[in-house]
This record gives sequence, C-alpha cells and structure tokens, in this order.
Amino acid sequence: MSAEEFEPNIVAFLCNWCSYAGADLAGTSRTQYLPNVKIIRVMCSGRVNPLFLVNALQQGADGVLISGCHPGDCHYMEGNYYARRRYTLMHKLLEHVGVDPGRVNMSWVSASEGAKFKDVVEDTVTKAKEAGPMEQFRRRRINW
Amino acid sequence: MVDESKLREKAAEVLAREDVRRLIGWKRGTYGFEAAPCVIKDASEAEALIFDPTCVQNPASFITLEEKKPVPRGQEADTRKIAVMVKGCDSRAIVQQLVEKAYDRDHVIVLGIPCLGVIDRRKAAALFGDVASQVSAKVDAEKVAVDVGGDVKTVDRKDILMDKCLRCRYPNPLVYDELLADEVEKWAGDEFADVGEFEGQSPEEKWAFWEEQFSKCIRCYSCRNVCPMCYCVECVVTKLQPQWTRRATDISENTVYHIQRAWHLAGRCIECMECQRVCPVDIPIMTLNRKLTRDVKEMFEYEPGVDVEAQPLLASYNPQDPEDFIM
Amino acid sequence: MGDYKFAKTKLAEVIGAMSDYQVVAPVESGEVVRFAVVDDPAKVTLEFSNTNVPPKELMFPETETLFRFRLGGTDLEPEVPDAAARRAVFGIRPCDAMAYTIVEKLYNWDFPDPYFNNRREATTLVGYACAEPCANCFCPSLGGGPGSEKGLDSIAFDLGDTMYLKTLTDKGEELVKALGGVLESAGEAEARAAAKQVEEAEGKIRRSIDTEGIAEHLPELYGHPFWEQFSDRCLSCGICTFLCPTCHCFDIQDESEGLDARRARMWDTCMFSEYSLHASGHNPRPTRKERTCNRVSHKYSFFPTNFDAIACVGCGRCINYCPVNIDLLDILEKSKQADAKEAQDA
Repeated sequence: MSAEEFEPNIVAFLCNWCSYAGADLAGTSRTQYLPNVKIIRVMCSGRVNPLFLVNALQQGADGVLISGCHPGDCHYMEGNYYARRRYTLMHKLLEHVGVDPGRVNMSWVSASEGAKFKDVVEDTVTKAKEAGPMEQFRRRRINW
Repeated sequence: MVDESKLREKAAEVLAREDVRRLIGWKRGTYGFEAAPCVIKDASEAEALIFDPTCVQNPASFITLEEKKPVPRGQEADTRKIAVMVKGCDSRAIVQQLVEKAYDRDHVIVLGIPCLGVIDRRKAAALFGDVASQVSAKVDAEKVAVDVGGDVKTVDRKDILMDKCLRCRYPNPLVYDELLADEVEKWAGDEFADVGEFEGQSPEEKWAFWEEQFSKCIRCYSCRNVCPMCYCVECVVTKLQPQWTRRATDISENTVYHIQRAWHLAGRCIECMECQRVCPVDIPIMTLNRKLTRDVKEMFEYEPGVDVEAQPLLASYNPQDPEDFIM
Repeated sequence: MGDYKFAKTKLAEVIGAMSDYQVVAPVESGEVVRFAVVDDPAKVTLEFSNTNVPPKELMFPETETLFRFRLGGTDLEPEVPDAAARRAVFGIRPCDAMAYTIVEKLYNWDFPDPYFNNRREATTLVGYACAEPCANCFCPSLGGGPGSEKGLDSIAFDLGDTMYLKTLTDKGEELVKALGGVLESAGEAEARAAAKQVEEAEGKIRRSIDTEGIAEHLPELYGHPFWEQFSDRCLSCGICTFLCPTCHCFDIQDESEGLDARRARMWDTCMFSEYSLHASGHNPRPTRKERTCNRVSHKYSFFPTNFDAIACVGCGRCINYCPVNIDLLDILEKSKQADAKEAQDA
C-alpha cells in the first residue's frame, strides 16, 4: 500500500467540555476536518486511562489523539493536569518500545477553537500516514 | 558488613515482643548461590537468619503478598506488627508503599542493613557454572569473596554483582527503626547511560528488539508478583470484565501486558530489579522501567521511594509540567 | 533397532535432510534456548543443559485454538483446525520425553484429547542423552535417567566428535530412512561409549528422593503448618508450573475480533489465586498455603492415585527457576517428617 492510498484510522478521546465542543463548533461552522478521526467523548481528559491508547493501537487504530481543555481551564479544575503527566509518560514508554511517536498525540482545544481542532486532526493524520499502518502489536496480525 | 550473630539476636529480640507477629528476612538456600527469603514466627527460628551478598530477594514484597482472609464473626483481626529486614534498595519499596498508604508506618518494624551489593545469579553461573553446594559470600568496596564449599575465590565486583548494585545510589536504608550495622559509603552514581544508548536506536530497531523479547514471554506473571509495588488485590491483567489483556500468549497480548506492567510502575519503580531477576526467559524488563525512571527524574524532578512525605507522582501535578510536545 | 552415527560437524546437514518432516529443535533466540520450528538448520544448537521452557509446548501449546466460528446468528459452524503436520523433534532431553508418557495418561482418561493425541501421533521424537546433568536434576529417582528411552523414538548421544543415534521404534527407523544416506552405521564401540557416558552422567546426579510412601502420606497433611515455611515466601507466580513438563492445566476462553471468533485454551496454573476462584467469590484455596500444598500433592499423590504414575520427571526446572528457592525435594523430605496428627489439630 503506498502512502497516498493509506488512510489511517484515528481514535480521538475528546473531553466533554472543551474539545468535544470544539469539534462540534468545527462542524456547525462548516469547517471540514478529515474523516479519518473517530471521536470518543469522555467527561474529562483526566478520565483517559493511558491504557486506552494502547488498546486502541492494539485493536485497529493507526494513531490516537487525546484532547482536553487548556491548562487552567479544566471544568474539573485539574483533570487535564493529571492527564498531561500520564500522557507524557505513556508517550515516552511507547516510543521506547518502538511505536512511532507520531501515532500518539495530545492537544489542548477549547470550545471556541473549531479551526484549531481541524488543524490538530490534520496534523495527527499526516503523522499517522508517515508512520504507516500500525502492524507491530495489532491483534489482527495474530494468526489464530 | 553486618554481624550475623547480632542480626539473629536482634531478630529474636523483636520476635519475642508481644506486638510482633512475624519477621521477614533471609536464610541460606538449598543449593548454589540461592538464598531463601523466610518468614519466621518464633524467636527460636531466628538462628537460621543470614545476611550476605546472596540475599538478593526484596523482603518488602512479602509484606503485601500475605493474603487477608475474612475474619470469622466474633473474632478480631490480628493487628500485630510485621518486622522486616531491608537492604538500601528494599527500603525504598517500603518508603513508596508508605507514600501510597499501603499500610501504616506503625504496621512495620524495619530493621535496616547497609549493603555493599548482592550477587547476580546469571553472572555467577557464567563464572562458576552450575553449583550444587551451598555458597556464601563476602563483599567489600573492591572485591567479592565467594566461598563454594570451602574453596574461596575472589572476584571483581563488576563481574558478579547485580547491575543495580554497580550503580547503587542508596546503599543505606532510607527508612528504618534500627540499623543493624554502620552505614556504608556510597560508591556510585547513575547516569542512565544504558537508557540513552537504547534510545539512540530507530523505532524499527527498538521494535525488532522488543518483538524478540516479548515473544519469549510465557506470562507466568512472576515479574508482577515479585514486584513490591505490584500489590493490587485485583490486577488489571487478570480482570475478565472488562478484559484489558487476553490470556492468550502471542506478540500482541504479550506486548500490551508488558506496556501495562511498565506503565503501572511509572513514577513508582524503586529499581530493586527483582522483575528482571526472576524472569525465567531472561526478558530485560528493567530496560522499560529504567526509561521511565529516568524520564520521571528529568521531567518531573521526582524520585520514587526516597521521601515518605512525598505525593505519588501520578496523583499530583505541577501546572508548570513540561508540555512542549502537546499540540 | 538400528545403530547409526554422523560427524557432529554434519549436524546442519542431517537436520537439513529431514525435509520430509517439519523439524523442531532447540534454537537460540534472544539469549535463551527454546524448541522451535527450524527454518535454518545452522541455527540449531546442542549447547544447552536443558531448555528453560520445556518442550511440553510442542504437544500442548501455550495458546491453542480449539475451533473457530463466526459471531452472529444462531448457527455455529465450528471449524476445527487441520490435523497436525508430520514432524520430527530433534534434541529433546529424556526427562521431557518421559513427561509425555505421563501426561498422555491424563489426555486419554475419560475423553481422548484429539489435539494432544494428533500431535503426539504425528511426531517422531529424537532424544538427546545428557552428559552433564545440572545441579538439581533427580530423574533417576523417578524412573528416568540421562539415557532414558521412555517415550522416545530414537536417542542421540554426543560422543565428542561424533553423534551416535540409536533407533528405538518403527517411527524412529522411518525417520532414518527418510534421511537417505547422510548417516553411517555405527557399531559396538559407539554403543559402549554411549553406555559409559550414561553411567558417568548418572554418577554426576547429586540429588534424589525416595518416593516410597509419599503418595499415601501427603493427603494426610492438608492444612498442616509445615507448608507455611514454603508458602509464606511463595510469590503465587506461574514459573514452577509453566516450566514443568508434566503440568497440564489449562483455561478455556472465547475470543473475538470483529465477527471472527475462536475458542482457545491456554496454560493455566494452580498457583494463581484466580485458578480456583468461584463465580460466587468463594475461593476454596484462598491462600498460598493451600495452593502450595495442592501443587505438590497433585504431583506426588493425586496423580499417582489416578494414573499410577508420579507427575514429575525430575528435570529440576521448578527448583532451578523458583525466584524464592522453594525446593520441591526439600518440601518432600520435610513432608516425611511432618506428623499427620498436627494437621488435624491445625
């Protein structure tokens, strides 16, 4: 499969209060973002267990994205701060195991940043395209 | 070096106390370079206790391994203390368990033993082969004297001691009620050179390495069970609803298991290296743990298991945490 | 049966000549030696005392698909995997081969297990006699030995420069025929050298156990406090059982990926607390004490009671790899001294 044909699957975990609303704003303002992204709404980026990322990559995602409120803006005051620490370490760990760092992404997108959401998705898709299809520990790889 | 007769005397004295239920220490193993961790309940058994460089196991693991059975109606739970002997690295496990409030400080009596290093069984096998008779050893700042059935050989420290000992930053216990010998002088620092070297590889090279290593894994969960920090009553890898990792052993599930295991030790691993030591198929597990240890230290200026008053790393935050790779 | 030999330097050639078979042999991968399907004969190594992971995985894989099916609808159309490929296992130690003769009794008990039996049927075992037993070997105590022929189709002896191969069954002879002219015929001299080697190897074995009376005594010790001196330091990990060539317990799970699904069985161990956990939450073996007791009693008492064979071959793996020095022989010796009366009081 050449890089042009390959359309990566992106799983995005968006927080209810900012990023999901940001994605919604992108939609209502007719800003088209790439359809590769599959959105899962969570109440807070702090709810995202980093193992979600690993399991997404294992089960079909070529790239993952966590997005939450900007630091200081968390609806729950501090959820995104915790998320940031966790994401940072999981990112480093996956990189150490040999997962292309471009597959694992995090962003801050507020409810008013529809345009930024579009850019973030574009970036994530570009990086996942560069990394190519996720094969390493994909379950489908296993010949039952 | 600790005086063994003093160690036994102290152990017997502690066990004789009414508020002490059991003591965890080491005794001579049944063959070769083995020592056996032992749990003794009576002062008369203290005679068997030893401490020398064969005592690699981390006794702190056994505090949390003990099952808590439901207390029958009308009876009261046994709340007597547990006494535990620890080396420098083992004591960090106790500190971290206290940080995480696994038990109260009152619950344990810590008998600290300053340590100059312990023997790596794999390195010993390369030097001495398969040894059947019981081995004892002595270590000082330069050499290790190994006594194989009366035949004493002197070996260079780096050829026989565990890697963790060669870069040990905490040879003296960090938490204790009583120290059983004089403190020793620290001899090394840790530059995490091995982590830096591994990181220099491309993602393809790294994965090629781990693919070979993880595919060997038989998922005996020894690395998890021996870990003093893995003390959850119910572990995420054995949960069936939801099932995070399948029980099947293949490269996919094995990789996810190892990522999960390393991840759950982020900011908690106290580098006792037990996980790597016990692995029956020689997976270099510490390579994952040390990467996180180094990053935690650099990015968050945090070191687990050194300060009883510290907050657990992932249950705290600093608004100024690094975030340059966040979009 | 026949006596053959070949120069040790021609090992790769001999392995290469087994092209009619799928060849499985000890291969070094990631610093450990393990049995694997040989793709390159040059990778086969004979420099090992024994593999860390026993070759029980050849008959009873770590994870094995029992059947596949599609999700949805009410019609299950299970698709059973194909019969096992004809294969030759080269370099299996006598203790591990003897283990097959023990577990096959269980696999043919109330229900003949087709998976195990197919594989066993399709496999020709070429043994590899031990010249240097390891520190914790005690196979002679259990009816085996460094040159034991139990369960094998042929056995190879490393006589320095030459390998001496003795065939024991028709299957073993068939494999030799398939090799064509790679082997030379051997004579009295090699047979004598091999016998001498076995005798010497037996002399080097340092540990032993007298199994007399253990099977009757162990069940009386259920709940005896003597177990605690071992179980108190048990980690509840799976090393002793997963690495045991005769441990055969498995768990069955259904797995799905999209609409494709399978039912698979995978190694399980009685040392995990989940092993005996009931759906109700009750666990009849709640602590490591009961689990340790169960492991030893099963090997040395329950299995012999049911199948007239001790489920242990004396390979020493559980002793070698136990991270906390729980020594099976030590347990058995101490069990002999333990008084059954104290168990009842406890």
